[in-house]
Amino acid sequence: CPDGGTNCQMSTGALFDKAVKLSHYIHSLSSEMFNEFDERFTPSRRFLAKSIMSCHTSSLNTPEDKEQAQQIQHEDLLNLVMRVLKSWNDPLLHMVAEVQDIREAPDTILWKTVEVEEQTKRLLEGMEKIVGRIHPFDLENDVNSLWSGPPAAQSADENSRLFAFYNLLHCLRRDSHKIDNYLKLLKCRLIHDSNC
Amino acid sequence: LFLYTVSLNAQSPPGKPEIIKCRSYEKVTFSCWWKPASDGGLPTNYSLLYRKENDPKIYECPDYETSGLNSCYFDKAHTSFWVFYHIYVNATNALGSNVSEELSVDTTYIVETYPPTNLSLTVEDGHHDLLVKWHPPDMADVQSGWLTLKYEVRLKEEKEQEWEAHSVGNQLKLKLYGLTPGGNYVVQVRCKPDSGHWSEWSQESYIQILGGGKKTDLMLWIS
Repeated sequence: CPDGGTNCQMSTGALFDKAVKLSHYIHSLSSEMFNEFDERFTPSRRFLAKSIMSCHTSSLNTPEDKEQAQQIQHEDLLNLVMRVLKSWNDPLLHMVAEVQDIREAPDTILWKTVEVEEQTKRLLEGMEKIVGRIHPFDLENDVNSLWSGPPAAQSADENSRLFAFYNLLHCLRRDSHKIDNYLKLLKCRLIHDSNC
Repeated sequence: LFLYTVSLNAQSPPGKPEIIKCRSYEKVTFSCWWKPASDGGLPTNYSLLYRKENDPKIYECPDYETSGLNSCYFDKAHTSFWVFYHIYVNATNALGSNVSEELSVDTTYIVETYPPTNLSLTVEDGHHDLLVKWHPPDMADVQSGWLTLKYEVRLKEEKEQEWEAHSVGNQLKLKLYGLTPGGNYVVQVRCKPDSGHWSEWSQESYIQILGGGKKTDLMLWIS
């Protein structure tokens, strides 16, 4: 509260504005990280990687085109955003630990990974406020188990660790863009009556 | 007769085609274009085949017509975002076939709209300030929030070489202050989706700032 009172409340529109700014920022960072890392990959490794990439969130049935996105109820879309966000808690913590050991990683990736991890937590907190106002629901606790963890220790040679990290960066870029896109849709739908 | 023999001898399987580009204009559909190599002197058929992430099936291009020669158009029923399409082109003639390198595109990252439209320039009366306004590109649905665009405006005095560019965010107008009186300006605008590429620059718009008895170069201030 600016005046120290306890009764002030941000409007839902203002909360959405903040959330969208944050999600936009997270996606920009994730995108930069992926591109910087991608540049260190030779074309052949990149090619191989793209054919085997898979994301831990791929089992979540998220809208993949405009029609699907417009047909889905806003409660369900909010629920999906929350699930995707929460499912990144563990992978992001893992990435923060892992990135310090990767020799090929560009220097800037370290602080960006830490920043994305922190800002994602902030976004989750903000989204919990929004959800609490619009459509309180209990999130099932299964989202954390979507990610099966880092590659097993015995197979964790340098190359497979690198691939695993590259794959996570790709998924992070994709999911952070999905979240950003869905939040922009929700904001236009709920705050601006679909006339942004 | 000699020429005829040469062309007979020159017949061969087709060369290796190359996929040049994939692009979505409005984040609803997309198209890919390829460049054929030698046809080996024989009638050659081209087919574009693709696989989608998490789907083992191989599909053939749904529409070879809409996007012109050597292209494939994916209408909205065939377009998903946040998904890799693994695409290749097959060239076949009577003597054999050849296949292009596979191109993997995540459709989210190939969005490149048409340029913004209706660029208008107004001099605010009595001042040397310029109000620049424009509309989103044709076919871009920004109302729903499905597509979010940021804009960039550039201007220069006609006689100058260097453009001066200004990032605008997602507003549809920009006010420029303190232009040179008597100056003839040319202005353009372009846009970029959240995860795609810059559009081409829009058509140029021209305006003359009134005045200019004395030649003074004022600094340019941006709102």
